[in-house]
Amino acid sequence: MRFTIFAHGSRTGWLVLALLVLLIMLPLAAVVIQVLLPGFFFGSRRIGDLSLLGDMFRRPLWYLSLKNTLVLGLGTTALGTAIGAALATARSRWSFPGARLLDGAVWLLIVTPSFILAQGWVMFAASDGLAASWLGWRWVHDAVFTPAGLIAVMSLSKFPFAYLAVYSALEWKMERLGEAGRLNGGSAWTVWRTIEAPLLLPAYCSGALLVFMDTVGDFGLPASIAAVFRFPTLPYSIYSALYTSPIRFDMAGVLSFYLVVLIALAMSVQFWALRRARFDFLGGRATRARAERPRRGAWLLAAGNFILLAIAVGIPLGANLLTSITRPGQSGGTAFTLNHYRELFVSGGQLTDALLHSLSIAAFAAIVGLFVGLLVAYVLTYSKFKLKRAIDVISLVSLAVPGVVLGIGYIFIWNQSWLERIGLLLYGKPAILVLAGVAGAIPVITRIVTGAMAKVPQGLLSAAQMQGASFSRRVRTILLPLLRGALLSAALAAFGASVFDLAMTSILFPPNFMTLPVVINKAFEDLNFGYAAAATLTGGTAVVALILIMERLFKPKEARRPSR
Amino acid sequence: MNLTHHRKLAALALVGLSLTAAGCGNANNNNNAGAAAATASDSAAPSSAAASPSATAVASPSESASASTPAGNGETLTVYLNDFDDIVKPMFEAQTGYKLNIVSGNGAEIMSRIEAEKGNPHWDVVWMDAMPSIEGLGKAGQLLEGWEPAAAAGLTDFAKTFVPANKAYYPTGAHAAGVIVYNTKSFGAADAPKRWADLADAKYKGTVGMADPAVAAPAYPFVSWFFQDKGIEGGQSYFDGVFKNGAHVYPKNPNVAKALTGGEIKVAALQESNAYTLKNDGEPIEIVWPEEGAPASVRVAAIQKNSAHQDAAKAFVAFLLDPKTQQALIDQGDESYFEPSVAGVTVKADRNPSAKLVAADASWASEHEAEIKQWFADRSVK
Repeated sequence: MRFTIFAHGSRTGWLVLALLVLLIMLPLAAVVIQVLLPGFFFGSRRIGDLSLLGDMFRRPLWYLSLKNTLVLGLGTTALGTAIGAALATARSRWSFPGARLLDGAVWLLIVTPSFILAQGWVMFAASDGLAASWLGWRWVHDAVFTPAGLIAVMSLSKFPFAYLAVYSALEWKMERLGEAGRLNGGSAWTVWRTIEAPLLLPAYCSGALLVFMDTVGDFGLPASIAAVFRFPTLPYSIYSALYTSPIRFDMAGVLSFYLVVLIALAMSVQFWALRRARFDFLGGRATRARAERPRRGAWLLAAGNFILLAIAVGIPLGANLLTSITRPGQSGGTAFTLNHYRELFVSGGQLTDALLHSLSIAAFAAIVGLFVGLLVAYVLTYSKFKLKRAIDVISLVSLAVPGVVLGIGYIFIWNQSWLERIGLLLYGKPAILVLAGVAGAIPVITRIVTGAMAKVPQGLLSAAQMQGASFSRRVRTILLPLLRGALLSAALAAFGASVFDLAMTSILFPPNFMTLPVVINKAFEDLNFGYAAAATLTGGTAVVALILIMERLFKPKEARRPSR
Repeated sequence: MNLTHHRKLAALALVGLSLTAAGCGNANNNNNAGAAAATASDSAAPSSAAASPSATAVASPSESASASTPAGNGETLTVYLNDFDDIVKPMFEAQTGYKLNIVSGNGAEIMSRIEAEKGNPHWDVVWMDAMPSIEGLGKAGQLLEGWEPAAAAGLTDFAKTFVPANKAYYPTGAHAAGVIVYNTKSFGAADAPKRWADLADAKYKGTVGMADPAVAAPAYPFVSWFFQDKGIEGGQSYFDGVFKNGAHVYPKNPNVAKALTGGEIKVAALQESNAYTLKNDGEPIEIVWPEEGAPASVRVAAIQKNSAHQDAAKAFVAFLLDPKTQQALIDQGDESYFEPSVAGVTVKADRNPSAKLVAADASWASEHEAEIKQWFADRSVK
């Protein structure tokens, strides 16, 4: 009886759960346990002060942080998902001039660290910013620095998550369903509303959750933008707990705990929304989605796309670009210069090293993360594993909990002296950055893959199993071909995001092993804004170029489709 | 199938191990905390790289030093610092023959690391402009006490006031955590603020900015001086006045600088090197050193009590107290505007010669840190 929990079919479930616990829950628990037992990792057994939990509603800063986080999170989820889903739908259905631009822009937004995007917006919208001084738009300042303005800016930065989730779910489609609807007299709108949208609901939800998580956990954007218009959020308060001395790990633990509660609530909402909606509708007649030239209005799509990208990408990155190529002029005003770019490669070559470090760490993290993420998605989608919901929640935690909290947890876990004896004292070695990178990559990969997997019917897998195909064979011959596009998107998104993951690496990087975001942040803190912007754009360009090359190489091609 | 099975078992075993160890590893720490810290302060088990598949592929910094190595002969010292990493490393290595492992980050990151590593410290020396925090480390018994370097004889009278009775740390310089900076396009020299009290003056309503002591490392030494000088209540009423005057609070000094150049604010309390950097970059700003003094942030160096590299650590602290070293920091550093702690060093030519620094007592500031930061954080959101 004892062995039933390891029964066949649950084994992958336990494996996945163990991995997630090790990579995410254990470090987080190590920090949260500081609330109950401060000094637990240093041999103290003192009981902590539980009244901290209630302080959330008593302390003005914390209460306001919670409220702001909710407002920003919900608003951005609604608007960001709407933008992302609309773009993904348009992009997969129609071809229009400039559509490729959208792909590049989405990657650019995902890989750019949020504090850089935020700085760009501040440079644009500040009262002496580009909008006011070059265009004379004084209203921009008042429009951006309000809660609604922040939601808009945040949505324009986070919509790519929703876009990717929905776009990869649209890769295969069953045209017959829609055609049947049209044959019976439904309008295009009715067909979308009653057939296509419900079928895509899991993908929309995945995208929305990603947007929500990344928004509530974001520190860079609220810290930079909202500084002009003070808008503290939970991550902001977590930082202020850690920036106190003696450091309040217990306070950081309490605030992180509330963030985890927020995730759990959001996921309950998702669960409730999807309770009857699991449609695995791919069948033998599924066709790969092909963008077609719309009969009319292609230019309208192109223009809409162009304007949106000009705002979402052009403003923040354009402002950074300007910063990277200008300096204050000798006699007032500004002058153009390429010095910042020259500096990148002269001063000891720190940037080159850091960039290589970050790229290799991110590559490992993306590959390991893809393996873990695929297993997680498999368990979530197909298994009857009892602790599925737990896996679901844990797989998202690392997106919302600020990296610095997980990073501290990693130190607690991976710096225990007994680990030295078994050679696993990973803290202080580059391997710890890979582990942290995997933890960061899991939510993105899992969501994107789950969204796509939701459409692959279990029947396909069961049939293969009946014929004696092993697990690995089923994955190799059925799932991988059908999910190739989604897997590629997932790995690349994870790769791009972890290259610039500042919070985790800044607390974990080993001695003499600088990473790209650490170098950029240091330049920023030393007021070398030009250098910081130049380093970001150089690093970002390298990453986006790599991503586009990988997409070219591995993207499923029409020609590769087996002919019948 | 088999593969999955094995992986699962391995992973489960790992989780189990870490869970049990979280419990019993600490009992160990209790008994032989010293020994654990000593063996781990330079954690380089060659086997650990091989044990993790990913570590072998990414270049791993080799840090294989043993205590038996003759002093100065390639022994590796790990220093946690927040500035000057690019200057001290080559200079110290060339002068002494020790190797320097550097972890550089902002004050909070370094303190978080030190605090989280408490059971198994990786650092030998910490060198930061965060005297109250390092005072706190001393109170927690983490620092080597009672050692006096020969070079301490060269400390200036001002610097000597910062050496604690138990000699747990030594100052290497002090800079203004805040000076008054104003936009010369908005105010002439006559209208410009001159004293700290002016930040609450209605003339500057809505145009003043400062960094948040809850987030920016140098902002706490700034704020704490007011609280010690005026008393807790006096400090609260001063900052109440500043807030009522519509002051903007930014997370960090770079945000304040950005707001100043961007025009969000016209007047700021800004960290000294940041202020001079803006001015040297040609921004239209002017710097005012208030007569009553600018609150100082003191950079101090301290040695980990159980460091396995005591000799190297002492050599490093002595190196920092060498006038030649401090001159190099001023001539080549990013945070180069500061008052040196030893005699025989020339400050930056454009630094105000009558610059007056004042500082809150480290022990007092350390004791009241949580209280003041919490008050400030909660007050500034109202």
